Amino acid sequence: MRMTPKVVVVGSFSILAAVVFVMVCWPYANRDMTPSEIYRPRSSVEAAGRVIYLRNGCVYCHSQSIRAIDWGHGAERIAQAGDYVGDRPILLGSQRTGVDLSQEGGEHPDDWHIAHFVNPRYTRPNSIMPPFEWLGTERLNTLAQYIQSLGMKEADVRMARQRYWKEESIKAYEAGPDANVKWLADIVPEGWRNIPNPYPTTPAGLERGHIIYQQFCIGCHGPIGDGMGPAQPYIYPPPLNFTILKGRGVSGGILYYQIMNGITGTAMPYFKRELESQKIWEVGDYVAVYFINQSDANKDPRGIDASWEP
Amino acid sequence: MSATNQDKPKTYKTAKAFCLTSACWFTMATSAGMIGAGYLIAPDFLANIEWIHFGRIRPIHVNINLFGFVTPGLLAAVFYFLPRLLKTELYSEKLGIVSCVLWNIYVFAGIVGIALGYTQGREYAELAWPVDILVGISFGLVVFNLLMTVRQRKEPILYVSIWYSCAAVLLTATTYCIGNVIWRPDTGALLGIPDAIILWFYGHNVFGLLLTPLGLAVAYYVLPLVSRSPLYSHTLSLIGFWSLLVVYTHIGTHHLLQVPVPTWLKVIAIVDSVAMVIPVMIFLINIWYTVKGKLGVIYADIAGKFIFTGTIMYFFVNIQGSIMALPQVQRVTHFNNWVVAHAHLGVLGFAGMTALGGLYYILPKITGKPLYSRFLADLQYWFVLIGVVGFTIGLTIAGLIQGNAWINGEALYRVLPEIHMYYVARASTGLLVAIGAYLGLYNIVRTLFFNPGVSK
Repeated sequence: MRMTPKVVVVGSFSILAAVVFVMVCWPYANRDMTPSEIYRPRSSVEAAGRVIYLRNGCVYCHSQSIRAIDWGHGAERIAQAGDYVGDRPILLGSQRTGVDLSQEGGEHPDDWHIAHFVNPRYTRPNSIMPPFEWLGTERLNTLAQYIQSLGMKEADVRMARQRYWKEESIKAYEAGPDANVKWLADIVPEGWRNIPNPYPTTPAGLERGHIIYQQFCIGCHGPIGDGMGPAQPYIYPPPLNFTILKGRGVSGGILYYQIMNGITGTAMPYFKRELESQKIWEVGDYVAVYFINQSDANKDPRGIDASWEP
Repeated sequence: MSATNQDKPKTYKTAKAFCLTSACWFTMATSAGMIGAGYLIAPDFLANIEWIHFGRIRPIHVNINLFGFVTPGLLAAVFYFLPRLLKTELYSEKLGIVSCVLWNIYVFAGIVGIALGYTQGREYAELAWPVDILVGISFGLVVFNLLMTVRQRKEPILYVSIWYSCAAVLLTATTYCIGNVIWRPDTGALLGIPDAIILWFYGHNVFGLLLTPLGLAVAYYVLPLVSRSPLYSHTLSLIGFWSLLVVYTHIGTHHLLQVPVPTWLKVIAIVDSVAMVIPVMIFLINIWYTVKGKLGVIYADIAGKFIFTGTIMYFFVNIQGSIMALPQVQRVTHFNNWVVAHAHLGVLGFAGMTALGGLYYILPKITGKPLYSRFLADLQYWFVLIGVVGFTIGLTIAGLIQGNAWINGEALYRVLPEIHMYYVARASTGLLVAIGAYLGLYNIVRTLFFNPGVSK
């Protein structure tokens, strides 16, 4: 084969044209732009928030693409083509340095997001996201509205729940410590309130609880458990001051349930996707021993002790 | 391959300009990379500086590398060897200088734009529309200059390096416009899933139709000359060239295997990703047989050393790429640092090493004096080599930790502390590459402008 300039130029160009036709034009011509059942258009504020998201390269660390193999965050809704019919450009992302945000809307209330944007470590001590305080209050609020819309109709359902329980939790908080602690206990289902604490408070167990506390809780509840962590100024109702719980009938089971399920409406997230049972019990024991100074660990009824227990 | 009989002395102004362009942007690219690596280790490092926070420094780093360092570095060699292989002058040195100046303007405008938030937000297609137009014009000028040089050639036979260089700039000028959806100046994007398809078609072709063909062109030119061996097989270079164009252009959708795009597109992408073994091994067999038995000679020559190392990286990055395109493998490797390692192995390990080799090959020829410091070039070689290998190993381990933890149901947040030390390792080995870049800039500037060496 003699490679003349014409052969090189015409040949390579023809190959490219054929491939573009097959790999780009054909799928485009046969695209299915039917909206999925969760799709809804964005409001103008949400669209403005998306521009902030795009201009600041959020897409380089956060995917919006839930796969069939995903377990955690958002996995209840595997992405469908119809979810993206309003996205120009589409922001699937190629890295998950941070979590996938496809279904982030309504996972947390707005105030949690603001605290998280101002400094991600205020709410998530191990986060490696850079701070976005420089965006200023207005843009942070706009960005938060976009984040709260992710998940579309499913996010709207979650947001409605956040708003309802936000009101309830504020009412309880403003009624004073006694009423607030009672409300916090009453929302826990009966069986959980009285469940025997299965973990004795050994030094090793408390040390493990301490580590979990530092990695998950310290940003809001603070190093001494008084609810004055760095996220506190941004959050309302404010993070719970554990020291007020003494003598108010709190149990290991109540702590366990609230850590596991979170308190929707407040900035307290659920941790049952991230922490296994032992870790939740032990961080609860840590809080009970160090901050409340009142623990129901090592109490009867306890059945047959596990072989390692003291 | 006899490319010596020249009538009058050439000035090589364009080659020199692209040389300097590449060396300068290499330092900027690695510096940007260091800032990005710093953020991943300590996110409050350089906190609240709008222009360089991670979401902006990362695309700045990527765009400088692709369009500031590697492509101009390879083009410098092309502007040197094209006229020589064709036994003619470059069509226009003036036009070459204009294209190089414009090239620098668009890279600069592009990164300033990203720093200020003017981005299309699409990976590899970040540059804003006005910059896209500048990119198109710059590529167009280079294409015109090269093709006109081919037209006025005095050598009837076109060597393989010429096919690759002409096809690379011509096809990339086209795919760049397609991938940046240049007919939509407001967003530079399509709507929904087709946007992902067109983006990754283009995105992968930045490697497939720009860096790879230019890199192969430089390797095909320099390695036979350094080893003083004729090219092993003309037939293999033919099959390699055409199969590369056919196969590489099909594989972009392998970035979307876990996304709701049509299954037939995924099948094509997977099959062709595996078929990449054909053009890759054809090139490697051809070039490795060419230098067979001459490894001592290659090692003694700084350009040969860089470019031969580039071919080894080319082997690893492509075999890895074929394997990564398998859906079962991608369940673990997608979305994590494995892919970052892969990208660095390709762009720095193969294309970057080859570009540096090209620069060190042409510098003595275009200045007429020996390299300012062979020692510094050697030092740079080892810094870049150790840097890119360490980097790749570290991030691959981090990627495996992430991917396997996720597939095991562990929350992303819980895995962050586990990969912290690999981010530290990445920054440390990346620092070697950055030091190498600054050494290279010093050496190249001294060679071009303040060279005390005796003229040949």
